[in-house]
Amino acid sequence: MNTILCVKWGDKYDHTYVEKLKEQCEENCTVPFNFYCITDKPTKPYDIKIPAEWDEYYLKNRGFFWAYRKYYAFALDYGDNLDIEIETSTDLTSSGSIQLESGVEDFSRIVGDKFLMLDLDVIIHQDLKYFFDLPMDKPWIVRGWWNDIHTVKQNFSKHKSTPLNSSVIRWDRGQLKSVYKDIKKNVEVIFFTYPSADNYFNHRWYNCWEEEKGFFRAFPKGDIYSWYKGNVYPDDMEIKKLRLDHKICLFNNSRETDDVEELKSLWNI
Amino acid sequence: MEYLKLTPELVNDWKNALSASEPYVFKRVMDSMNQSQLESKLWIIQELIKLDIKPKRVAMLAGWFAQYTVPLLYDNFESIVRIENFEIDRDVKKISYKFNKRYKEEGYTIKIKNVMFDKIQPKGNGQEDMDTIINCSCEHMYPMWKFKELNLTPIPRIQKNPLYILQSSNDNQHEDHINCVDSEEELIFQSRIEHVMYSGSKILANKSTRFMVIGK
Repeated sequence: MNTILCVKWGDKYDHTYVEKLKEQCEENCTVPFNFYCITDKPTKPYDIKIPAEWDEYYLKNRGFFWAYRKYYAFALDYGDNLDIEIETSTDLTSSGSIQLESGVEDFSRIVGDKFLMLDLDVIIHQDLKYFFDLPMDKPWIVRGWWNDIHTVKQNFSKHKSTPLNSSVIRWDRGQLKSVYKDIKKNVEVIFFTYPSADNYFNHRWYNCWEEEKGFFRAFPKGDIYSWYKGNVYPDDMEIKKLRLDHKICLFNNSRETDDVEELKSLWNI
Repeated sequence: MEYLKLTPELVNDWKNALSASEPYVFKRVMDSMNQSQLESKLWIIQELIKLDIKPKRVAMLAGWFAQYTVPLLYDNFESIVRIENFEIDRDVKKISYKFNKRYKEEGYTIKIKNVMFDKIQPKGNGQEDMDTIINCSCEHMYPMWKFKELNLTPIPRIQKNPLYILQSSNDNQHEDHINCVDSEEELIFQSRIEHVMYSGSKILANKSTRFMVIGK
């Protein structure tokens, strides 16, 4: 069964972004799918309470590995044991007659075995069925083809110019458990060392010198591009250009600009 | 005064290393060869000689191209049996071997490994344990107590109580300097060195202050 996941926490995006993403998925996916939003403020039937296990390791003044909440979903595996310690607080806001559960029970509500995780700030151009039909000998992640590979290698130890982007990840249930376990095992080191999860993935789960040998497989050129960074280096690097023949447009901008309003205006295309 | 011996073999190896460095790597190679880099590495040798320490089997953590450290150790200490450099950067491996080609037969090797995640594993049977750990890149990584914890026995690669030679910096202008310190005391604290044999600081040519701790 196909399952689309997104994650929302904090105040940057309100729930209209989740609704908009869901609407885009419904308009651009010709196969049936489940939809869940893993969030710190569950209010909808599709909402799943974010675990809090790693909160204590996040160093606010440092701000590293800031998107860590996305990666609890990698724990999804077969069997009952999610290997997540989730606080059992019932301090949830619910709407309507939906009674949300908390703790492991809530996370375990996520069904399906073919996962597609999408960031909230994406524009979907084409049928998402494509992603569910991919061969799954390896999980898939965005390869930022807009990066010059020489710059990627040059900055490998500087935690800059990562070739990977985790705005779109496709995996089968259980396939990313080893990544989840690695984060769990090395959580203090990771939260101290890596400015972003993409840096961590690049160091631990990819090989930018021999890209076919990495743990992840990269979505090919022509699938996913970046509104703020371009498409493919060096030939197609025009920014702020829609490419409707591609499948997904990302709004990754290294947190350099406030992209919210720009994205909203493009939703109306 | 310790120095780096400029021999015909060194010149040949370095020429080959530099000419093999692709343009995108070349600037990094140059950065690794500046005055401050050599000052830092000579400082290690000076203090080891004063302490009458004779390292034998050395693990270098994040040793980068190691074009200074490796010859300085081999040339100043007859005791050296082997040096192993643990790096994460695959470009470094190729070029460092070229810089130090003359020591490959003598036991200089490089392994691609992130030492804050993975234990130093044995390369082969019959090798004796590492007695010396050199890390001149402490500012680039998580505090060294983690490495010590990770490599607690049973691990047949590091002696139970090896000598640690650690350097760090207060130079926080680089974004990859994720763990700068302000004093040698802070470096001692971070690495949980209990028996300090030497600690000190030095202002380098680039105006940054470098700290060094030698101990167990």
